[in-house]
Amino acid sequence: MSAAAETVDLAKAFGALEVVAPLTLRVETGSFVSLLGPSGCGKSTLLRLIGGLELPSAGTVLVEGREPARALERKQIAMVPQSPGLLPWRSVEANARLLLDVNRRANPADHPDPRELLHEVGLGGFLQSMPHQLSGGMQQRVALVRAFALGAPLVLMDEPFAALDEITRAEMRDLLARLIERHPTTIVFVTHSIAEAVRLSDRVLVLSPRPAHIVADVEVALPRPRAADVEDRPAFVDTCSSLRHILSAAMHA
Amino acid sequence: MTRHGMTWARAIAPVVGIVVFLALWEAFVQIRDVRPFILRAPSDIVRHLAKFPMDFLRASGTTSLHAVTGFLVALALAICVGAALAASPFLERASQPVLVLIVVTPFASYIGSVVLWLGSGDAPVRFITTLVCFPAFVFGAVAGMRSADPASRELFASVAASRFEVLWRLRLPSALPTLFTTARFNTGLALIATYLVEGQNFANAGLGAIGRRAAGYSLADPQWATVFCMAMIGTLWLVLLGALERVVLRWHASQRMLR
Repeated sequence: MSAAAETVDLAKAFGALEVVAPLTLRVETGSFVSLLGPSGCGKSTLLRLIGGLELPSAGTVLVEGREPARALERKQIAMVPQSPGLLPWRSVEANARLLLDVNRRANPADHPDPRELLHEVGLGGFLQSMPHQLSGGMQQRVALVRAFALGAPLVLMDEPFAALDEITRAEMRDLLARLIERHPTTIVFVTHSIAEAVRLSDRVLVLSPRPAHIVADVEVALPRPRAADVEDRPAFVDTCSSLRHILSAAMHA
Repeated sequence: MTRHGMTWARAIAPVVGIVVFLALWEAFVQIRDVRPFILRAPSDIVRHLAKFPMDFLRASGTTSLHAVTGFLVALALAICVGAALAASPFLERASQPVLVLIVVTPFASYIGSVVLWLGSGDAPVRFITTLVCFPAFVFGAVAGMRSADPASRELFASVAASRFEVLWRLRLPSALPTLFTTARFNTGLALIATYLVEGQNFANAGLGAIGRRAAGYSLADPQWATVFCMAMIGTLWLVLLGALERVVLRWHASQRMLR
């Protein structure tokens, strides 16, 4: 299998502060990989290094076989930031197609239609609404659509549901699970929620406290498609508890 | 109070304020018997305007055109310069002293030199009006463009948007609220600069020229009539600016509060 993203001895320091320790990982094409770790451990920085928003201090990153900066120019990376980052002067529909409206030459010929995606995530009745008229969960759904509309081979998500309440979070997990079944792509997902990671991922990489390095690489052996009731299965519960132990061992190492 | 009643009260409030102000002014002049060349009553001013309506209308048109031209040229220049400064902190720091110098120097003192340099007529009016509006617009443009949401900036970077796309689709819309606030401030500045230069550019056009001549002959009626016309232009300008702001900034919190 080819790698959608891979790093070799990737390290990042801000001045004297080491944030990412030399770290090697491979994200197989079409897989869903979560980066799970305590807050402040450097997992967001790792994601930003893969996405070309930070430059590494040492080591290499390749996305689709290219440096991230080259991959960005070809619109091969779609980002979902922690805050939805919607432009308040654009309607829901215009926000959903924002990334298609800039650097148009790099748009893939067969990207999904943002309007159809909005219908899929239940926002079909809000195409002309303005962002301030939406709830936090609805805004984050627009942010997901904006990323998926790009049709990019790699989608990077930085704790996209962290700011939402528990009920909305569970709803968003279902929604994302459905979205990736209909529009398969490679996803790297940063989270500090164990349940979220297990529910969505093929692999969970557990990161240590800063400087981040991989302490465990856990396969999630749950069949797909995964409906919401997968969270009641023994395999789900077992995976969660083993991850919890790994995480707490890493915290106190 | 009902919603309808509140809207009505809000619309009428400024009119009430002006009427009360004019009434107090009239009463003060009549009761205290203020000498004519110190202050004229509103009724005297209106009587004088009614005597020469076309002259004052034409002069008001000239002055408005002068002020609006300078104001808009300054805005356009400031957006271009602001975009460059917002992108480069070094350039911003380097230009700061010059901009501050323009603001703090009393432009009234060098009007004569500019008229000698650019000649009589419209050129010195446009030049000085543009000059005095420019710094505030630059400060507003830079601050507004810098205020663009960092998450949105990264989003644009994540698809390698061009500098122009970032300016047009992100920085400029982000700067609009600050630019409108600056525009209010600059309205007064543009009108004052226009009035003063019109009085010194040997063109005999505009309210400034009438005011200057009247002052020279100690004619209180025409002088106060120009002041009255300037106030009218300024008020109308701000009303139009407010209406434009409500349309352009529909999405912004400052306008949503008004509904």
